[in-house]
Amino acid sequence: MKKILQLALGIITSVGGFLEIGSVVTAAQAGANYGYKLLWAILLGTICLIFLVEMSGRLSAVSKHTIVDATRERFGFPFFSIVMLGIVAVAFLVLVAELGGIGLSLQILSGIGFRWWAIPVSIAVWLLMWKGTFGLIENGASLLGLVTISFAVAAVKMHPDWGSAAHGLLPTMPGDGKAKYGFMAVSILGASISPYLMYFYSSGAIEDKWDESYIPMNRIIAGFGMTFGGFLSMAVLVAAALALQPRGIDVEKFEQAALLMTPALTHWGFYLFAFSMLFACLGAALEISLAIAYFFAQGLGWSWSEDLDPSRDARFAFAYTIIILLGAIPLLFGIDPIKVTVMSMALTSATLPLAIVPFLFLMNDPIYLGKHRNGWLSNSVVAIVILISFVLAIISIPLEIIGG
Amino acid sequence: MIEINAELLIGRKVCDTNGEKVGRIEEFRVTNKEKACLVEGYLVGTSALIDRLSAWTLIRPIGKALRGRMYSVYEVPWEQMDLSDPEHPKLRIPKSELRHSK
Amino acid sequence: MKLVRDVLDKKLTDREHCEMGRVSGLIMHAGERSQPRITHILVGGDALWMRIHPWVAALARRLAKMWGPKRDDPVRIPWSRVETVGKDVRLDVKARETGALDWEIWIAKHVIERIPGGGKEEEE
Repeated sequence: MKKILQLALGIITSVGGFLEIGSVVTAAQAGANYGYKLLWAILLGTICLIFLVEMSGRLSAVSKHTIVDATRERFGFPFFSIVMLGIVAVAFLVLVAELGGIGLSLQILSGIGFRWWAIPVSIAVWLLMWKGTFGLIENGASLLGLVTISFAVAAVKMHPDWGSAAHGLLPTMPGDGKAKYGFMAVSILGASISPYLMYFYSSGAIEDKWDESYIPMNRIIAGFGMTFGGFLSMAVLVAAALALQPRGIDVEKFEQAALLMTPALTHWGFYLFAFSMLFACLGAALEISLAIAYFFAQGLGWSWSEDLDPSRDARFAFAYTIIILLGAIPLLFGIDPIKVTVMSMALTSATLPLAIVPFLFLMNDPIYLGKHRNGWLSNSVVAIVILISFVLAIISIPLEIIGG
Repeated sequence: MIEINAELLIGRKVCDTNGEKVGRIEEFRVTNKEKACLVEGYLVGTSALIDRLSAWTLIRPIGKALRGRMYSVYEVPWEQMDLSDPEHPKLRIPKSELRHSK
Repeated sequence: MKLVRDVLDKKLTDREHCEMGRVSGLIMHAGERSQPRITHILVGGDALWMRIHPWVAALARRLAKMWGPKRDDPVRIPWSRVETVGKDVRLDVKARETGALDWEIWIAKHVIERIPGGGKEEEE
């Protein structure tokens, strides 16, 4: 019975925790600019994420090591430090975007500019980590994030042409604007395949004391949770295609994205968007801050656990405190969270090999996984998607920067 | 008797008595008995491709994982390794007398 | 047993199963004709940063002089204190007495406990 409840909670929290500013902004921009044509990128990203999340849980359940533990031990500190530098730098940018997303949501709801919200939001996020337990953070924020189901409701209510939408699940090239299209595909892939999610999930499996008996449950949570989450991303794209593209509205400002639910849900749609983004970005900000702190703590051998008093894992608590405080600084200076979002998603795609290549080696290592090593399917799917993301990123990021 | 940081020997180039490059120190085979840890031998890894890139900390660990096809390993017994200059480890025998590791 | 695979970078735990960091380095005594032996495990400090680059170690040393527990050398634990080498390296020591937790204790006392809700670091 306990396992069934855990399973249900696991799926629900995966769904509630899936959307964040990256997936919403990139999906909304894609829908506003290209209609259904980029649904394939969300599909590809989601499929890859399902495999990666399942692998993360399996590694921790079987080896009782987190991904970070195993990376340091298997590859040594010099290699690990390069991975850490790259992943943490990009994750930090994503954190800035999420904190900005919370600020922008509060801007919509209160009329007060997001710059004024930077400090209160950071303090609130920090307080939740300071006083909260892992269970509260993992479950609480994600349960609140279930309000993002309103995106699916809005998309369905607008009566999309499901046939045309289905065509979008196959990759096509646009007539012109190939560089921008490629960049958008890269950003969507980066928004879907977030390494911080893997590190958070793997640490969570250790915090929740998973063992080999949790492998089937892990598979179901990864499969169903990420699939439903992927559907929500697609719903955002479909809603944007129907609500924004016909009106020629591009999503360069947060308030423009907020319009994607209004045709279906009238003015309630505007506020539902703000609340959805508020809770989604809050959950993501907590996860990313924890993921970065876990990276330092696990990699350098500090004690770490969200369930301990901060003084019992002082360096870990100090790490997330500094990370959150630093995350507020760019927002205080008025840096546009939307621009940070899109660029950080593209950079995530470009740095995926740094996270995924060593991870794939670990998943095939008998020392860590014994008979639970990866099969050819897991290896192939992940390797192919990462290669696609990386190649697209290397081509499109410079073009997008040059093209302004 | 000299004191060496063993972890800094990893990746150091090893040459034989003729000055010919053999490879880089990748591993230490030790026995742990009665609270003492004795070094039995060194595993010296070599690969033309990986060696050209081996200054890159990023590539060598991945190259090690691809061992076999691209990367072979010599077993050097402790008595055949001269560590009097830890920055430049040398063999006491020519490369041709080395055994490949299993 | 292999040092790099089985010992280096592994987690260290003390006799009470308290985590005390990771193996950053290993001291080896080598003589002209005598069999080399590993005499000490190094935890933290210079040993870790030297593996990246001497400049990084020099920077870390300079920062450590300005802030934190005043500790010059990495923590040295005699190999004779190693009980088992498995998933972790278990030592027959008390973590606090080795100095491996000096940074943890310093940050707890000087930063964390000064913030409301931080709790109290254990005193023994």
